[in-house]
Amino acid sequence: MKRVRSLNARGWGIVAWAATVVILASMIIVARAGDGKAGQSKALTGEDLYKISCNRCHAERYAREFTPAQWQTLMTHMRVRGNLPATQTKKILKYLQEESGN
Amino acid sequence: MNIHFRTLGVWAAGSLLGLAWAARATALSDEDFNAMKEQLTRQAQRIEQLEKLQAAPTNTAGVVQPIHPMPPVGLGATHNFLMVGDAEVQFRRVEGQHGAFTLADFAPIFLYRASDNVLFEAGFDIRLQNGSTSLLNGRTHDSGAQTSIGLSFAQLDYLLNDYVTIVAGDMVLPLGTYSERAAGWLNKIPNDPLPRDLLPGSGIGVQLRGTIPLDMSGQLFSYAVYGVNGPSSMDGSGAATTLDAGSNAVPNLDLGGNVGLQSDGTTGNLHGSPSGGGRLGWFIPWKAHYDLELGVSGQSGTWDDAGNRRWSAGVLDAALHLSPYFEVKGEYIETRQETDDVGTLRPRGYWIQVAYKLAGLDLDLPLINDLELVNRYDVLDDDMGTKTHRYTVGYVYYFSNTLLFEGDYNFVHSDDPAQAHNDVVFQLAYGF
Repeated sequence: MKRVRSLNARGWGIVAWAATVVILASMIIVARAGDGKAGQSKALTGEDLYKISCNRCHAERYAREFTPAQWQTLMTHMRVRGNLPATQTKKILKYLQEESGN
Repeated sequence: MNIHFRTLGVWAAGSLLGLAWAARATALSDEDFNAMKEQLTRQAQRIEQLEKLQAAPTNTAGVVQPIHPMPPVGLGATHNFLMVGDAEVQFRRVEGQHGAFTLADFAPIFLYRASDNVLFEAGFDIRLQNGSTSLLNGRTHDSGAQTSIGLSFAQLDYLLNDYVTIVAGDMVLPLGTYSERAAGWLNKIPNDPLPRDLLPGSGIGVQLRGTIPLDMSGQLFSYAVYGVNGPSSMDGSGAATTLDAGSNAVPNLDLGGNVGLQSDGTTGNLHGSPSGGGRLGWFIPWKAHYDLELGVSGQSGTWDDAGNRRWSAGVLDAALHLSPYFEVKGEYIETRQETDDVGTLRPRGYWIQVAYKLAGLDLDLPLINDLELVNRYDVLDDDMGTKTHRYTVGYVYYFSNTLLFEGDYNFVHSDDPAQAHNDVVFQLAYGF
């Protein structure tokens, strides 16, 4: 009779990681399929980029929390720390300065 | 009565003057009349042009007109100083010990922008910690509190152009993404993932970094390449362990590295050869709050004084957002440490964290809507006989976007009995 080998901790770890990757990949595919805009190339506005970029690392900071000059300093910091490209940084900065109300 | 006479007098004088001017007007020659006619025609044309110009912006006002007036270009100050950062207070109870407020932390970040392309930034960690008193019998006893001040980073950023930034100083290292995005109000769980202990948080040196947009949908490619002094040896040798003041064996690798200033006041890198490292990242958004980020990073260099033993690290990082409410992220970290006595050690580990904001359930309950549930699983294997697994279940309650109250329970399993204690942590964190 052939002996059935049970998985050790390493084996279970590999299985868990593989399952996680498969689940996440399928979630991405489903989410992309459900989004009619997927693949469209439309110029993103400062507001679009603000929503895409800022919230992925921290809770939303509202435009009125800082003055236009402070936003310029903060966005320079975020361009370096948050890996934002120059063009997007300028658009987000313009949006935040216009909305800052100062 | 006098007033009436005076008013009548003024009126009469005005009438006479008017008649006089009228008489002069009738006396205009044809030449003067034609000149005035031409002038009136020109003025009418100018008014018509001005009206056209005035009408033009109103057609696009809804598209480009800012809600609030923009600051005048060229008149603002070029220098700006700003302090941001965070502060925390933490309560912790470890299984079998007393519970206590274990941490009061103030971590300011100073940002000084000298111009459009020069920024100096420095972060500090100022915290209260338990004090230690020397007793007459030669022993020590924990009592009171002391304040420690640590320099987390101090770096100068020069934006050379749209694609290259030069960074110099004590830099936060882009090994994975955790260190660069860590702060009390950013982390959903107060303590760091276990395998982050395998990596240096910062290093002294120079870095080139930048980000290139790949298409108009927001897809990005980022890079960073750097040279730093790198880790060093506690006792200078390449042995895996060394003895501390209490004759206990402790790891000999010092990830804090050295700053080129020796204890005798002379300068020079203790091991002579710097470490090199970098990160490549790929960010793929498909709409706001739906994105995937993947990264690979690493660092390598010698760590003993003789410069014969190499220390290397590799990190894979990933983060996924599916809606404003769901986030999963993690890192796999593997290091290699060559030693004089036990060959090459391979300390490694990983962590994965899943978080869900209950606002996504749309229950219209304020308390529930401000709550986020968090789970994390992290593993650390030091390759010297100790493997630790930790599972954390917790929550984040958002009083505001930057004021958070976190609570977590950690289930800890470890080969080291000293580490195998569950604990509960509560933390109030504020980002400013």
